[in-house]
Amino acid sequence: MDNGLVGVKITPVKVRKISHRVRRDLWVGLVLLAPGIGLAVGFKFVPLVRGFWLSLFETRGFEEPKFAGLANYERMFSDSTVIKAFTNTLVVVSTLPIWVFLPLVLALLLFLRVPGWKFFRASFFLPYMIAPIVVGIMFRQILAPDGPLNQALRSIGLGGLAIEWLNGPNSSLLSLVAVALWSFFGLGVLNYLSALATIPQEIIEASRLDGAGFWRMLFQIVLPMIKPMVGYWTVLCASGVLIWMFPLIYAMTKGGPGLSTMLPEFLIFLTTFQFLDRGYGSAIGIALFLFVAIISAFTVRYMYNEGVKVKKA
Amino acid sequence: MTRIDSDVPLGPVGERWLKTRPAFDRGGLRIAAARALVVVVLSMFAVAALYPLIFTIFSSFKSSGEFAQNPMGLPASLSLTNYLEIFERMQVGRLLFNSMISTLGAMILTTVSALFVAYVVTKMNFPGRNLIFLFVISMLVIPSQAIIFPLHQTILDIGLGGSYPGLILSLAAFGLPLGTYILAAYFRSVPIELLEAARMDGAGHLRILFSVLLPVSIPALAALSILNFVWMWNDLLLPLVIMGGTEKTTLMVGVALLSGQYDISIPLISSGLIIALLPVVIIYLLLQRQIMSGAIAGSVK
Repeated sequence: MDNGLVGVKITPVKVRKISHRVRRDLWVGLVLLAPGIGLAVGFKFVPLVRGFWLSLFETRGFEEPKFAGLANYERMFSDSTVIKAFTNTLVVVSTLPIWVFLPLVLALLLFLRVPGWKFFRASFFLPYMIAPIVVGIMFRQILAPDGPLNQALRSIGLGGLAIEWLNGPNSSLLSLVAVALWSFFGLGVLNYLSALATIPQEIIEASRLDGAGFWRMLFQIVLPMIKPMVGYWTVLCASGVLIWMFPLIYAMTKGGPGLSTMLPEFLIFLTTFQFLDRGYGSAIGIALFLFVAIISAFTVRYMYNEGVKVKKA
Repeated sequence: MTRIDSDVPLGPVGERWLKTRPAFDRGGLRIAAARALVVVVLSMFAVAALYPLIFTIFSSFKSSGEFAQNPMGLPASLSLTNYLEIFERMQVGRLLFNSMISTLGAMILTTVSALFVAYVVTKMNFPGRNLIFLFVISMLVIPSQAIIFPLHQTILDIGLGGSYPGLILSLAAFGLPLGTYILAAYFRSVPIELLEAARMDGAGHLRILFSVLLPVSIPALAALSILNFVWMWNDLLLPLVIMGGTEKTTLMVGVALLSGQYDISIPLISSGLIIALLPVVIIYLLLQRQIMSGAIAGSVK
């Protein structure tokens, strides 16, 4: 018994009319679903399946692909380039606490209305709006050996710190992470601010009357109350560091020097489009997909629960 | 800098702040010195956030010679030479048009598709609707980087390689999971009585969707549009692979390819960067109130 609208009760007298309507509603539903399902299947699901299929083939340039089973995956485990790309990823992931806590501290300060908080809020969010490729090119100039950063360091007598930010084997990966953090921390601040706004004022008030300092307020009162947002942002950053870096690497280092800034997403691009080793590139792609999927499954679970739950208006 | 919303209404988050009393004066950070220190530290962050942009703006007005002598200071004059040259060299007009076509096309397509899916899974008694919803939002876990080659292949196979529809469909597909989620979550909060009344008046699904649901969903649609505009305009990988260096490529690809040319000077590329980031920054300044009110906070991407 269905009149097509959720939650609307209908009387038995109308049953015959309704079964006709049910069938019509089914058609309407199918037609409405078609574009969305078409996009999802055609441009995400099918390419994923094709990517997996292709990863089972050995390909070389424009030669005919040969079925090779799991050979590409076996090759990955002994390929020092791939291993380096994934160990670099681990280094990047190890910076996650900064990604999580720096925006939180900044957001709480803004929330407590530091003088000039509106200006700070606007400036912190601006970098997020700038395209990562533009950010990358900007920083390639700023971090150049004779760029403004090193000149500034030298002029204040810190010439020893004026290193080759993007060309040093150790500094380049951390420079890359720092630029990525520059590009995304504003989104974290904004997310945290929207969560902080849900904390009842009495609670902040009470903690102040108790004489709680900033850090105690942060860890004992604020953090437990905005735990869902902290979790959400952590998951987002964890999957983000795997997939946000492409334009920055493209603009700043191309994976170098050596392999010091090579990350899987850039390696896939190189392997596929420059070395034309498509089967192998697809295998690395599937590996990256698995890592991203495991992490962002948490996001999807959250979205599903939120989207299925009936909210009070 | 620019207009920092001193006299505009602030939206939900801002309003709530206004109602709070200045905690900062009497809270833990009571001591004036500590307070000054905090402002200094935040100012350093603000400088770090703004300086790269300021440096790029300054550079974009300098000649190569001037930049070599004075890379950091103010430009001697507001000469538009670099901008004129980059317009020519990068075909800015053409690329700007391409970026607009693909961004707007993808925004419309993804929003309409998401709107339909969200309606079916929240407001119709469609069989398996929760599973359909789960399927669509679970596409979020497939990053473009991981499937870029087979995606490109698929686009070539259906004859859309290097075309606007090819790029528009791809961008729309990647925007769909989040769009569906945002709209579905919003539709859930729309009371059923509202739709029931329209139903009693004999309205069909499409009329309910467009003349009842849509008008009350403007905030969600606005947030979604801002979000999509920013990432679709800024995206590099999809247009780079689908369009490459063709006539139909986007501004971001244009900038990326230009920056790889050996004879490009820093002042010249800087003017290209400013042109590329300007549309989004203008949107940011115009819609700052909506953006800051938490409209796009809590969303992915």
